[in-house]
Amino acid sequence: MDIQEYFSLVFSDYTLRTITLGTAILGAVTGMLGSFAVLRKQSLLGDAISHAALPGIAIAFLITGAKDSNTLLIGALVSGLIGTFWIRGIVNKTHLKSDTALGLILSLFFGFGMLLLTFIQKQPNANQAGLDKYLFGQAATLVESDVWLMAIVTGICLFVLLLFWKEFKILLFDKDYAKTLGFNTKSIDILITSFIVLAIVLGLQTVGVVLMSAMLLAPAAAARQWTNSLSKMVFLAAIFGAFSGVFGTAISASQNNLSTGPVIVIVASVFVIFSFIFSPNRGLLFRQIRFIANRRDLELQKTLAFMYRIAETHENISHPHAIKILNNFQGFTRKTLQKLVDKNYVTLDGTMWSLTEKGFETASNLYNQQAINDE
Amino acid sequence: MNSAQIEIQLIASLVAIACAIPGTFLVLRKMAMISDAISHSILPGIVIGFFITQDLNSPLLILLAALTGVITVVLVERIQKTGLVKEDTAIGLVFPALFSIGVIMIAKNANDIHLDVDAVLLGELAFAPFDRLIISGIDVGPKSLWIIGSILMATIGLLIAFFKELKISTFDVGLAASLGFSPALIHYGLMTVASVTTVGAFDAVGAILVVALMIAPAASAYLLTTDLKKMLGLAIVFGVFSAISGYWLAHWLDASIAGSITTILGLLFLVIYLFAPSKGLIAVMYREKQQRTEVSLLTFLLHLKNHSEERERHVNHLQEHINWQKVRAKTVLDLALKNNMIVIDKKIVSLTEKGDEFTSLAIDYIITNEDAQIEDMKDDFFLFRG
Repeated sequence: MDIQEYFSLVFSDYTLRTITLGTAILGAVTGMLGSFAVLRKQSLLGDAISHAALPGIAIAFLITGAKDSNTLLIGALVSGLIGTFWIRGIVNKTHLKSDTALGLILSLFFGFGMLLLTFIQKQPNANQAGLDKYLFGQAATLVESDVWLMAIVTGICLFVLLLFWKEFKILLFDKDYAKTLGFNTKSIDILITSFIVLAIVLGLQTVGVVLMSAMLLAPAAAARQWTNSLSKMVFLAAIFGAFSGVFGTAISASQNNLSTGPVIVIVASVFVIFSFIFSPNRGLLFRQIRFIANRRDLELQKTLAFMYRIAETHENISHPHAIKILNNFQGFTRKTLQKLVDKNYVTLDGTMWSLTEKGFETASNLYNQQAINDE
Repeated sequence: MNSAQIEIQLIASLVAIACAIPGTFLVLRKMAMISDAISHSILPGIVIGFFITQDLNSPLLILLAALTGVITVVLVERIQKTGLVKEDTAIGLVFPALFSIGVIMIAKNANDIHLDVDAVLLGELAFAPFDRLIISGIDVGPKSLWIIGSILMATIGLLIAFFKELKISTFDVGLAASLGFSPALIHYGLMTVASVTTVGAFDAVGAILVVALMIAPAASAYLLTTDLKKMLGLAIVFGVFSAISGYWLAHWLDASIAGSITTILGLLFLVIYLFAPSKGLIAVMYREKQQRTEVSLLTFLLHLKNHSEERERHVNHLQEHINWQKVRAKTVLDLALKNNMIVIDKKIVSLTEKGDEFTSLAIDYIITNEDAQIEDMKDDFFLFRG
């Protein structure tokens, strides 16, 4: 099956439609909430929580014995939340730093989850096959009810986001100010963190424990490069996330032996690389171009200033001088000289140059302006 | 105990020691999550190495995979240097991408290679004794024992040789640079050791357990001591203890050894987190409560000093005025009485001479706001803690 065939099938084929919708919704909701995680400098929280959810899945299975994905997700949610609050406790109450706390919770919970999974596998009533799909995720196991669940959760997320938009925003950028305004920062904090945990847990079945953190981060990191406005960033991140989901599913469906999760992550990473390089304001490419333009500008000014120093010593400012004397000066190139002529600062006459009235004026104000701009 | 059991415990203990040493420095340098990133992103290195060597235990594979680990660190730093995203986001972007590449490479060649992702991430210590190193026909022990043993030897050698440099560059980068050690060199050296250890250990215990063994013992030790040598020692002891008791837990439950070791590490950390003498949760909360009472006492004494009228100094009035609850007000009153700061006469509270002097000094302290001063004051006045 190639990509074209995929797009013709996506509206008619049940499985493809479900998976595509599922990954698109998942990408949108993780992108949305991921924006907050990235801006709150909690990027790696996603990684920690997705690992911390594993023992919850195992315990939920041990208690209910059912493989119903909703029950397992509730288990994952509970253990993810416990992990999150323990991380917070470690950072607040001890001198261990947040990276240590994240790494601890991540590895310890995951290890405990592995212990439980292997323990379950040895049980006699073990119809546990399929529990390990949460490790790496299997988008193919998505059914319509899963997609409905995702859609409902996304709807709730969107509603809560819009309802508490002001609070979330102020907490994000100025926590102390939010506190002085009388907002209950603690509960807003808990609310947003809980939603991040919820989004992560939703994605476990599709992309798995290991790759979930990228789903949360990549769309948000890409969106961050295009805008400085929170609302635009959240919106863009949702779009990037959804497109990574759709393209990832399309590519993995059109090839043999490609699991969906890693492909989605790669697509999202491509979005990030593209944004890093080509975004107009922050992107590396345009930054380099601006850098070169600035340097040229500086050289131009240097040449002009040098000319000014020479012209100053003469009574007639337009007294011609040989181009040769500019040669041992760094800022000078043929191009800059031409540019000066274009700007009407200098006139050329054979091998001689002379400063115009306008050029003299500009040059004499060159450093004054600098001083004014600095203030 | 049969010989396979002893060998497993020996391997687990060696892995624990080999991880604890770089782990301590990672925790101190606030780079713990780098170990998680490395443990995931070595996957493509392992896969490529496996394509070339067809042997999971070959030294070439270990070097290639370790190189991927170092590349991860370099990539993270490069991305961070552009200033487009923060360090943690950079880590979070790099390792899943590399890991995905590894997973896809395995999936595309699933028929040709005998390697699966579970094995890399989770490892299986129980099989380690079966893969034996045979030199000229003589069985000299399990391969992983030799690999991790030589990595450990190298780590210990480097640790002893560069202990001073490591210590200085960990705690004071500026000083290290001005003394002429290159912090960058030490940084990448440490990263290389961490990568090599991760790769050497993943086959036996899995990538996730490597992270646990690096961070958890060091973090537990850090809650108990602030001396680098003691911290290293404690981390090693915790690591080995968890390795051996984890093995027996797994034996008893008939479950994954790596999972059991991590669980023991988790329990150990939980106990230390709660009960560590001065930095544990309970100690911290007790101290916070004590400090709250001390601050209340100070507020109370200041109030008394500021008011000479009897109405303001009536016992019942204090509750209303400073808005304390009854219990708290009583605690503070008792504390002040015990310290001879106040006398109560017909329900009217007044400062004693000692209380007056103390309060004057306290005002000085509040104005100058130097931390050290108030600690001396407590000693000077033989202040009973709340």
